[in-house]
Amino acid sequence: MRSRRGDEPAHWPLHLFVGFMVLVTLYPIFWVLTIAFSGGQTPAIADVPPNATAWERVRAVIPWPEHVSIDNFRSLFADQPFARWLANSVVVAGFTTLLGVFLSCTAAYAFSRFRFPGRRTGLMAFLVSQMFPGTLMLIPLYIIIAQWLNLGSTFTGLVLVYTVTAIPFCVWMMKGYFDTIPKELEESALIDGASQATIFFRIVLPLAKPAVAVTALFSFMTGWNEFIQAATLMNREDMYTGPVGLRFFVGGFSQQWGYFAAGSIVAAIPVMVLFLFLQKYLVSGLTAGAVKG
Amino acid sequence: MASLPSHRRRFLIGLALAALLGVGLGALLLAGSLAAERRERAERKAVVTLSALAAVVDRASGGAAEEAAPAEPGGFGLGEELAAVAQNQTAAPQKDEGDKVRRAVARFAAGHPQVTAIRVVKFDGRQLEASTASADRGDKAAPRALVLDEKPIYDLGQKLRAAVEGNRQGAEGAARAPEIAIERRPQGVLMLAAPAERGGEVAGMVQIEMRAEREPAAFAWLPFLAAWIAPVVALLLLSLALGDRRWLLAAAAALLLVIDLWAYGRYASKILAAERRRSSEAVAAQIGEESKKAEALLAELAIPAAKPLAPTLWDADQFRQSRGLITATGTVDEGRLGELAGADAGRMTRSVATLAALALALLAFVGLGWAARTGTALREHRVAYAYTLPALIGMLLLVFFPFFYGIVISFTNANIYNTGKSVAETWVGVANYIDILSDFRMMKHTAEGLVWNYQNFYYTLLFTIGWTVSNVAIGVTLGLTLALILNLPGFALRPLYRVLLILPWAVPNYITSLIFKGMFHRQFGVVNQIIQLFGGPAVPWFERPFTSFLAVLTTNGWLSFPFMMVISLGALQSIPADLYEAARVDGATRWQQFRSITLPSLRPALVPAVILSVIWTFNMFNVIYLVSAGEPGGSTEILITQSYKLAFEQYRYGYAAAYSAIIFMILLAYGTWQNRVTRATEAIG
Repeated sequence: MRSRRGDEPAHWPLHLFVGFMVLVTLYPIFWVLTIAFSGGQTPAIADVPPNATAWERVRAVIPWPEHVSIDNFRSLFADQPFARWLANSVVVAGFTTLLGVFLSCTAAYAFSRFRFPGRRTGLMAFLVSQMFPGTLMLIPLYIIIAQWLNLGSTFTGLVLVYTVTAIPFCVWMMKGYFDTIPKELEESALIDGASQATIFFRIVLPLAKPAVAVTALFSFMTGWNEFIQAATLMNREDMYTGPVGLRFFVGGFSQQWGYFAAGSIVAAIPVMVLFLFLQKYLVSGLTAGAVKG
Repeated sequence: MASLPSHRRRFLIGLALAALLGVGLGALLLAGSLAAERRERAERKAVVTLSALAAVVDRASGGAAEEAAPAEPGGFGLGEELAAVAQNQTAAPQKDEGDKVRRAVARFAAGHPQVTAIRVVKFDGRQLEASTASADRGDKAAPRALVLDEKPIYDLGQKLRAAVEGNRQGAEGAARAPEIAIERRPQGVLMLAAPAERGGEVAGMVQIEMRAEREPAAFAWLPFLAAWIAPVVALLLLSLALGDRRWLLAAAAALLLVIDLWAYGRYASKILAAERRRSSEAVAAQIGEESKKAEALLAELAIPAAKPLAPTLWDADQFRQSRGLITATGTVDEGRLGELAGADAGRMTRSVATLAALALALLAFVGLGWAARTGTALREHRVAYAYTLPALIGMLLLVFFPFFYGIVISFTNANIYNTGKSVAETWVGVANYIDILSDFRMMKHTAEGLVWNYQNFYYTLLFTIGWTVSNVAIGVTLGLTLALILNLPGFALRPLYRVLLILPWAVPNYITSLIFKGMFHRQFGVVNQIIQLFGGPAVPWFERPFTSFLAVLTTNGWLSFPFMMVISLGALQSIPADLYEAARVDGATRWQQFRSITLPSLRPALVPAVILSVIWTFNMFNVIYLVSAGEPGGSTEILITQSYKLAFEQYRYGYAAAYSAIIFMILLAYGTWQNRVTRATEAIG
């Protein structure tokens, strides 16, 4: 009998390939760290003089700052309105989460527990709305929010837009979880004389805490990372959200790469950590939705 | 036994409600149109006065006008009428002309009791050349430099200048900016301003404030009530003959409703046409009066008329183009008025058709008993509806309504300057769709020969498809390869690799895009420095379509392969190991194992993942918009970013909405097609 190892190909060329891919993956991340801690505003890691030596050329591509400095971070919060932009993002994403989770919990509960005319249509409507790509809604939403309702550059306008964007996903996710909670619990509570509202708020919601948490985190991330609606609706500089502000640093003729890099790190780290925790829910939710759709 | 509600009662109630809806909305629309027409009449008359003033000021600053631009023989537009204001700064004699302008303005104001203030602004030196405003007396009297508080006046002038220049060199089809500013102030005060040109350049501005006559409009109750009640009474009488027969009643009610709405539409058309005629007559009268006053004024101040006045051009729209409603002899142009009435009638027909559809739906809803059933269902399941209502209302108002509204504006020429107008006024039918879809000129001839026409829809579509296909191919290849490697039994460091390789997915994609934009920087970008390290030349990435495409492709490849890898890895790990064991026992080679075990087990996970990533890439706004921004010249624009630019950089909302609707159709077609294909493969598998 041949050894098992024998018919396996040698692993080291594969390690070489995977190692290369890891390098490609990590390089941009190290690049942004380097620029952030360089204390300067250029997108170059190091200056390359016209007659550069080989070492100077190599130095310019090694993602490590020449002088480690936290000036960019300090000045980002002290001299630039970045703190204000982050606070705007927190407010918008926070209210989106509250409103989105509340609305989708109630709707998902009804869809899960009651049989009523229009139930299937309603569920399908939520699913179909996911087919309208966000950018296609930009023009009508801009006219409605900014020109009719006069809610351009306000938290209310952006929160409303984000909430309806988040609702369909949240409804489907919560409905799936409510379906797994046994109905007997509610029936016995009903016999004990509890009202419909009591059952929902006192029994069902506490049981669904894990799903509520996951749903809330997803809607928070939607609001936190969204760029294009915010760029369209928030025209006043003091109402920018984090993403719009970061783009402001390096958009057009502006070349403040140091602020951009430092700001990106501040804005991205919380969501990256959340994402790495949540990705398995995301994958199952997405594929489940796709199969149903 | 409870008496069943008779069909007769239902249809009577239904018809009453439907007629109320149709006629009521119609009456409101009519009242709105009449009010708009009255407003417009006041504005047209004000524009006539403004034009007369501008012509007088032009003549008053006279001498230079002759040397600057001799009048062209073929008649001149208002632009030239307004030309050569404030031409008095170089030499001493021109001081007199400044005085002349001021005297003319003062005389003009005295001759027009409704005018409360006139200002003439010269951009050169930010000069207030003349003013009759009550605040500008004593030591603030003109001529003087504008002060800080008056910056809005100066800015308004600059805005008009920008508008004139923008319109002159504006792109074909781009929205035009108004060249006459009209602003309504409280208490019926109108503020108007027009640019003053000299030698083709906008050199100043004439501004006028006046009290507009207000003509309060009374709501015409009698026709409304008649049009509401008449069909109900008619149905009541008819039903005596028809009896309680459901379909006969339905047909009668529908017929009565349509006739009623049609008649009301005819009536509204007539009223509106009469109002329009009154407007043009009033404007013609105003022109006669103003031209007489202006001639008298010029004669009185002994200003030589360098050019004859052209009062028929004074009835101009906001773009300083003559409306063409007044003939050279100062009477109403019947042919042109007839054309406009025809357009009005077309709009009216569409409005009536829409109203009729709405009203008929309501009639059917009530008359056929659906309303009663809906009411019962609502009562029965009120708890369920209460729970779903808030979310549903939000979705209806901010998802479904905007979606349909977007479809509606795709049939108009809505742009940033006509947002106040109703859909009926800007309606252009399918013109936008025809513009986009019937233009097959993907290549165009230029000095450099035949080149791609990057603004063409089909070019962008082709580019989008190429972009989507190459991205998905890269994503699947890389993701699947990595997953297969990481899934090898006993592959060292697997958990570490997995965490590191998944990182790009975790980075928000707008940040990824901006990072790559920095790394592809032409001068300081690290990508060029790596190329130079190996002796290559620095590449100006965003100056050639192909390199620009490579840059966006790299960016999107980087951020999209982890998704495919995670999906494939999950699917690979769920394949039971005994399958391979059994295959080995049967003597299958590695390739056979891969073909008949691995690939089929991957398919249920990979197919939805590919479908998803096709849609994501097709709509990957952030990467294109933030990395290449479509450079160079729109060659790397995908459909989504192109429609964004049409809407928010060219402000052609209607056109962009049509573009978006076409994108939606493409996605819908793709969705339907992939649904059928997956169903078919499922059936086979």
